[in-house]
Amino acid sequence: MTEAVQNVSQPQIQVENLNLWYGEKQALKNVSMQIPKNSVTALIGPSGCGKSTFIRCLNRMNDLIKDCRIEGRVLTEGKDIYGPDIDVVDLRKKVGMVFQKPNPFPMSIYDNVAYGPRIHGAHRKDLNGIVEEALHSAAIWNEISDRLKSPALSLSGGQQQRLCIARTLAVKPKIILFDEPTSALDPISTSRIEDLIINLKKDYTIVIVTHNMQQAARISDYTGFFLMGELIEFGQTRQIFQNPREKSTEDYITGRFG
Amino acid sequence: MAREQYLQQLDLLRESMFSLGEIVELAFKDSMIAVIDLDVKLAAKTLALEAEVDKLEEGIETSIFDLLALQQPMASDLRLVVSALKITADLKRILGLSMNVAKIPGKIEGGHIKPLTDTRKMADIAIYMLENSLKAFKTQDAELARAAAARDEEIDKLFYAVWVELIEMMAKDTSIISKATYLLFLIRYIERIGDHCCNICESVIYLATAERVKLN
Repeated sequence: MTEAVQNVSQPQIQVENLNLWYGEKQALKNVSMQIPKNSVTALIGPSGCGKSTFIRCLNRMNDLIKDCRIEGRVLTEGKDIYGPDIDVVDLRKKVGMVFQKPNPFPMSIYDNVAYGPRIHGAHRKDLNGIVEEALHSAAIWNEISDRLKSPALSLSGGQQQRLCIARTLAVKPKIILFDEPTSALDPISTSRIEDLIINLKKDYTIVIVTHNMQQAARISDYTGFFLMGELIEFGQTRQIFQNPREKSTEDYITGRFG
Repeated sequence: MAREQYLQQLDLLRESMFSLGEIVELAFKDSMIAVIDLDVKLAAKTLALEAEVDKLEEGIETSIFDLLALQQPMASDLRLVVSALKITADLKRILGLSMNVAKIPGKIEGGHIKPLTDTRKMADIAIYMLENSLKAFKTQDAELARAAAARDEEIDKLFYAVWVELIEMMAKDTSIISKATYLLFLIRYIERIGDHCCNICESVIYLATAERVKLN
């Protein structure tokens, strides 16, 4: 681990000795990581290495899985998200998530974005502004501003994914988790989402799981390499891709295994 | 092991770099023998190496562009490809300078104006530097690269000493200006070759350690 990453002065997310079991099987082994604020952190590694399991720990998505047991701490703003006084709904407002397959609700474009703010009690008169701002931030406003009442499912895959990002932004999170956000998209839609992620880091802290190493190299500031449930190496992206310290990282990113 | 074809391409790049290094080394050594002995035949043989080097260099560049565009090398592979590109450019310049050296014997008639003792010393050090920077590339030995580059200072000192000596000789006897000027060029070529060897050593250190250093 590089000095720079070890001594982050104000990490947005601080993970300490995280262990996770699915029944008997241990999926995460003593993972510690400090994720700096307003940065993009990419998590890479072969299938089954634990990277998706890890990212799902950051907004307690694994709570929903039967027989899943977690030890260790995940702190955001100094507070353990697994602590007893944490409201999970409130946590997921602060830590948004975008998934591999775009999953808009079967309702209008407008209602998709307004859904979160409504359940969190936004005033009706503020909704239009919130929806427009979120769609702007997700770089999709210009394409759909004249058909906000159309069904969200009428949009293309790339547009649907940006709509899902707008839906996440509408509740003003601090952190956005992306789990393979472009693996179902064509190259142009992928570039749009990548540009968007780079722009979003001004206001948010971003963690992205990706199988596409070039994508990790292009858009992230920090990269973590997972293998068999362990965080093998975590460092600045330019260091990981030019001079990884661990042989298994080198072997993975040069395509010698995986 | 995955990516068989890619790994073969990297091996091929390495092999071609070694071959390029060998020919450039030969060209430099022979050009120095030719100029010291004023051996016009050997000079002509040396000049003929240029075409072969051009062909090799073109092939290396093409394979580097292909690797970058099609294989997106990472980590130590990336460092190999980038340093190969830079080293190729330095070797090409060393060859060009050796060609300049090899053209001198054809222009000097009736022997040198002075014994080329210090010039020979300069050449020996430059040859040592070239041999060892290429060996360091082969074995990815950063320490050897540093040691090779460290000798550049000796060349620089000899360069200034010979420079002053030649200027003084020309001031005393204007009839030697033409021949002396060729010798001035000669020591300048050797000095430049030393600098290119330092560049190669910098590339080798980057290749071996990812550290970027200035040795010149």
